[in-house]
Amino acid sequence: MHISLKKEIKQSQSGKAGIIILLVMIAAAVFAPLLSRYDPMQQSTAPLLAPSFTHWLGTNQVGQDIWSQLLYGARTSLMVGFGVGVLSLIPSILFGVSSALIGGIYDKIVMRIADAFIVIPMIMVAILVAAYIRPDLFVLVLLLAALSWQGGARMIRAQALSLKEMGHISAARTFGAGLFYIARKHIVPDLGPILLVEFIYGVKRAVFIEAGLAFLGIGDPMLVSWGTMMRDAMKFSYLNVWVWWLVPAGVALSTTIIGLTFISHAAESVLDPRLRGEVVA
Amino acid sequence: MPAAPKFLSKIAIIILVIPPLLLPACSNDAVPTSPQVESYTIADSTGDWGFPSPYASYSRGPGYVRMSFVFETLVWKNAAAFVPQLACKWSYNSDDNSYTFELQQNVKWQDGTDFTADDVVFTYNYTKAHPYQWVDNSIVKSAQALDRYTVKLCLGKPYAPFLQNVAGVQPILPKHIWGNVIAPEEFLTPDAVIGTGPYILADYSKARGTYLYKTNDNYYLGKPAVDEIKFVKIAAEMTPAALKKGIVDSAAIPAEVVDDIKAAGFIVISEPPSWNGKLSINFKKEPLSSKKFRQALAYAIDRDALARIVFRGNAVSGSPGMMPSTSLWYNPDTPQYEYDPAKAQELIEGLGYTLQSEYFTKDGQPLKLSLIAAADYKDVGQFIARQLEQVGIDIDFQTLEAKTVDARVGAWDFDLSIYGHGGIFDPSILYRMILGDSFNSARYSQDAELTRLLNAQLSEMNASKRKDMVFRIQELYAEDLPALTLYYPKSHWAHDGSIPLYYTMDGVAVGVPIPLNRMSFVQEK
Repeated sequence: MHISLKKEIKQSQSGKAGIIILLVMIAAAVFAPLLSRYDPMQQSTAPLLAPSFTHWLGTNQVGQDIWSQLLYGARTSLMVGFGVGVLSLIPSILFGVSSALIGGIYDKIVMRIADAFIVIPMIMVAILVAAYIRPDLFVLVLLLAALSWQGGARMIRAQALSLKEMGHISAARTFGAGLFYIARKHIVPDLGPILLVEFIYGVKRAVFIEAGLAFLGIGDPMLVSWGTMMRDAMKFSYLNVWVWWLVPAGVALSTTIIGLTFISHAAESVLDPRLRGEVVA
Repeated sequence: MPAAPKFLSKIAIIILVIPPLLLPACSNDAVPTSPQVESYTIADSTGDWGFPSPYASYSRGPGYVRMSFVFETLVWKNAAAFVPQLACKWSYNSDDNSYTFELQQNVKWQDGTDFTADDVVFTYNYTKAHPYQWVDNSIVKSAQALDRYTVKLCLGKPYAPFLQNVAGVQPILPKHIWGNVIAPEEFLTPDAVIGTGPYILADYSKARGTYLYKTNDNYYLGKPAVDEIKFVKIAAEMTPAALKKGIVDSAAIPAEVVDDIKAAGFIVISEPPSWNGKLSINFKKEPLSSKKFRQALAYAIDRDALARIVFRGNAVSGSPGMMPSTSLWYNPDTPQYEYDPAKAQELIEGLGYTLQSEYFTKDGQPLKLSLIAAADYKDVGQFIARQLEQVGIDIDFQTLEAKTVDARVGAWDFDLSIYGHGGIFDPSILYRMILGDSFNSARYSQDAELTRLLNAQLSEMNASKRKDMVFRIQELYAEDLPALTLYYPKSHWAHDGSIPLYYTMDGVAVGVPIPLNRMSFVQEK
């Protein structure tokens, strides 16, 4: 790869904005206990309070501090997002690279399975399965990862097929390198930009779906989630509390997804020069 | 009890004496004549409560209410007393323990067929073969038509709440239609919703959760006051706005908007506690099978704080005896289990558990229980889960779809569940919700004295003796705790005043605490 991924993202204004947004969210998630003095699940006798110095974003219907919920909600979203991003990438690499290198019947079977998964709307399957098994955080990550690998596998396979024909890989084969060796030493390292793009896609999807499931009331009720916050806030929309309850949760979710989109867009420009804003001399 | 004689005489009068005396000549309970209302829309956040036939409507209060606009009972209730319906007079004959009902003579089914005593006899015989979900008709030994418009129902044993639980609840079915129906739950054709009621079902949509009723112009007790009644599905949070914009005329509203809605010109009516929010306990499983453990749960949960925090003061703390303190049947000596987490831990330790770091353990196994509830109970569930965790019980709290919770509780596939039911008026509710077979009953018969008293109070026609039994039942129930009453929510209902809605005495029929009595929608002739 003669185009630097790091340099490309740094040069992109949206890429830089995305990284800043993501870092802010990660900081909010990591330092949540320091940034708020309230347990986000602690109910109190002061419900539906407006923002004040005591409760920066007021309190919800059972007196829980909304600012704390917002911070801990970031923790839930990012844990699910990064967990799914990593876990879905593993089968994507495994199936994508092996399909490209082995080919034949194996390739056909794996790709048809991937096609079948692509055809089924992931969000619907996630809702149905989650509604049935009511997953906790760990199971939710596994579930979403199991439903998210197929698109990445196809992209990785396409890139691996292209790499497979390159000279240095032919040379390695000539010297007797096995498929696993070639995959490990020559294919996977050169998949860098695609892996980043797929990882970010996975994170983005998972953050969105986690919030969606929680919004539908089929998340873990003992978990703070931006989706649950929005669901609860909607129930009290008649009290005009949405300004400090619904909007912050919605903005946090949207901002996180926008940040991830910026990063993935910048990373994609490495793969597709047409996406770059200016021509590099 | 200085108030006892007054109270007892009131009960006795209401149940046995007043109704027949007040009914000299088949009077009715329709409301005074007022301008005809073209359309009346009622909002409901759930929407679908089943096809409104007696057997297909969902066995929850709103399901019964929708069915009750089409089907009628022998007697009915208004805000203060029992009133005539298909029977214009009735009397209890203590000699042979029977009730005799004189039926209205000008009643036609909605398809034009005459209503007669045969239909009543048929209904009571039919429900022997096909039990009706709201009524235990086993108390009726035989039904007999004395003539075309007189029916005699002989009881197997004296049954104090007969009008409240049987005659005022059992919808009468047309013999000429239901006579050939073998599977009543699957009978969903238009014929299945032909009753004698003031309204005819014009449309029902399960998918949209809507009901449309049109007037029955041949109604015998008066003129239906509304040309069409609509039940529409509207999210609870949108209800206040829907009322203000005139999209709906009537709806339950949250307490937070009562003043606002009143200021907008609506009438808001509120009801005393009648709905029992409870913690169902699977006493068939260890360690919940231990009475001491169940008592520990009661000590571990601060019910006052639950009412204050989760309901923002719009609920009353529950009494472990089920009957609320506002009830005439409430026993003030019922064990209350004031919040005492230390006592809860002491009781659990007494069962061989050891508190290790966060949770109790026994034989190396942590004390872990599951708690299931419908999503609407999320806040209550969080509160309970955290309080039980604080005393050392690891709680796995899950919210599920409401009907899934019903099914799992019904199949005993749970540890703890947050649940509820209406109808805590007449003490017969104690029988139904402790010994009954339905999923929202505790289904508890392990205490011989409690079981005996629950049965005996139903047969006790002496109000004083019955009250003593009901008091003792509350003490035993609170001691055994097969379920724990957590709270009684306060409910508020707003309407535009075009129809004079009211809360029915002891709830609609068997005790449904919804102010949609069908007779509110009928004008005097």
